Amino acid sequence: MLIIIKKCGKLAVILVNSETMMSAHDQNHQSNNDSNDENTTHFGFQTVEKNEKESKVASVFHSVAQQYDIMNDLMSFGIHRLWKRFTIDASGVRPGNKVLDLAGGTGDLTAKFSQLVGREGKVILADINSSMLNVGRDKLRDRGLVQNIEYVQANAQYLPFEDNTFDVITIAFGLRNVTDKDMALRSMYRVLKPGGRLLVLEFSKPEHELVNKAYDFYSFNILPKMGELVAKDGDSYQYLAESIRMHPDQETLKTMMDDAGFEQTSFKNLTGGVVALHKGYKF
Amino acid sequence: MFAQTLSAVLETLINQFLRYNLHGTRALKPLSGKTLTVKLAELPFPLSFTISHEKVHVTSRDEYNDCCLITSISTLIELNKAQQLTDLIKNDQLDIQGDLKVAQRFAEIAQTLDIDWQSELAKRIGDIPTYKLGQLGRQLLNKLNFAATQIQADAGEWLVHEQRLMVTAAELTYFSQEVAQVEQQVSAISQRLDNLINQQNKKS
Repeated sequence: MLIIIKKCGKLAVILVNSETMMSAHDQNHQSNNDSNDENTTHFGFQTVEKNEKESKVASVFHSVAQQYDIMNDLMSFGIHRLWKRFTIDASGVRPGNKVLDLAGGTGDLTAKFSQLVGREGKVILADINSSMLNVGRDKLRDRGLVQNIEYVQANAQYLPFEDNTFDVITIAFGLRNVTDKDMALRSMYRVLKPGGRLLVLEFSKPEHELVNKAYDFYSFNILPKMGELVAKDGDSYQYLAESIRMHPDQETLKTMMDDAGFEQTSFKNLTGGVVALHKGYKF
Repeated sequence: MFAQTLSAVLETLINQFLRYNLHGTRALKPLSGKTLTVKLAELPFPLSFTISHEKVHVTSRDEYNDCCLITSISTLIELNKAQQLTDLIKNDQLDIQGDLKVAQRFAEIAQTLDIDWQSELAKRIGDIPTYKLGQLGRQLLNKLNFAATQIQADAGEWLVHEQRLMVTAAELTYFSQEVAQVEQQVSAISQRLDNLINQQNKKS
């Protein structure tokens, strides 16, 4: 099967072998079986048809793509940069590695990985949303990062890569937007090399009740207003707050990673559990 | 996340310094892709410096490096005197793992940094304010140095002579000599006692 990749602004084409596609098909089939009983999923606090969520999430990110970076800085008071640094530190990435930055959005992690893997390495910035991918590509090219980065528009549930391709896979603030998280985790497991590691950076459940309450107030009262003011889109940031609450907590996500086949899974709470970094290996 | 905060601050500072360096970032090119890790006794995490795209990237990764220095901040400061390197390693104050040349090249870059601070400042605030600020800075530094020396001398005087809370170096040496003499005498008496006990035992 032919997959179209945008490489340094040009279109490139890769051939994915039939075995890979079989695996993806199997996953799809399995997921469909899973969803026979339950064809609905969450979109924030709403319950929607599974096939509806993707387009709804897409419209959110098409809407916020241009203001994504500035909103991240505003909403997190810049702390998202430290969370991402923590992820890089935990990645164990080295020169020559092949890294998949899934749901990589505007390319913060890709930029750093690109510099750490060197010319012999490669970083794939993948995102399901073309607007986010375009913003990310423009940003990275403006910073002169073109040599070892490829851009792929891909759904995390059906990763268009061969089995055992990547040394490191990261998905930062992306998993909660995926319709079928179990399927996405299985797909990531498939494309990860034996010995490779997956890092999931995602909003989670604060450890202390007081922090939880303050965080709730901030998320539901201040955040949408910020979105309205800066990105002219309060609804998307209302969805952001709701989707964080509907995302599995630390232990549940760890169990999901175990179920997907990952070994030595662990998580580390950051900023009192507002965000957690989950780590798992494929052996 | 102190490690990440420190890494971010260091990275910003180092790259700003390199930007202002009169020799530019040419010196970084031979080290492209190389990583130096420094493990300081005072910090619970390592600091890794990777050079790429003519920039220095600071992380607290520990799993990969070309050279690793295990030392303390005070030893790190002494490292600019190359002749001390062997002594520091012998005294277990410094442990180097990996390619020593990488560490040496990093040290060379640090030593050859040449920044014309006055010129950089003048670009932002103008020549006259920079001159005045420089003059003020030098006066302040001289006064601070004088104050530090004065405080040190006064404190010593007060502790040793006025309050007699501490002794002078000569008194300490004299006391140490006396203790050594007493130690020798005790040792001699002890040996004599042992001899006497042995003789007594033989007679009985």
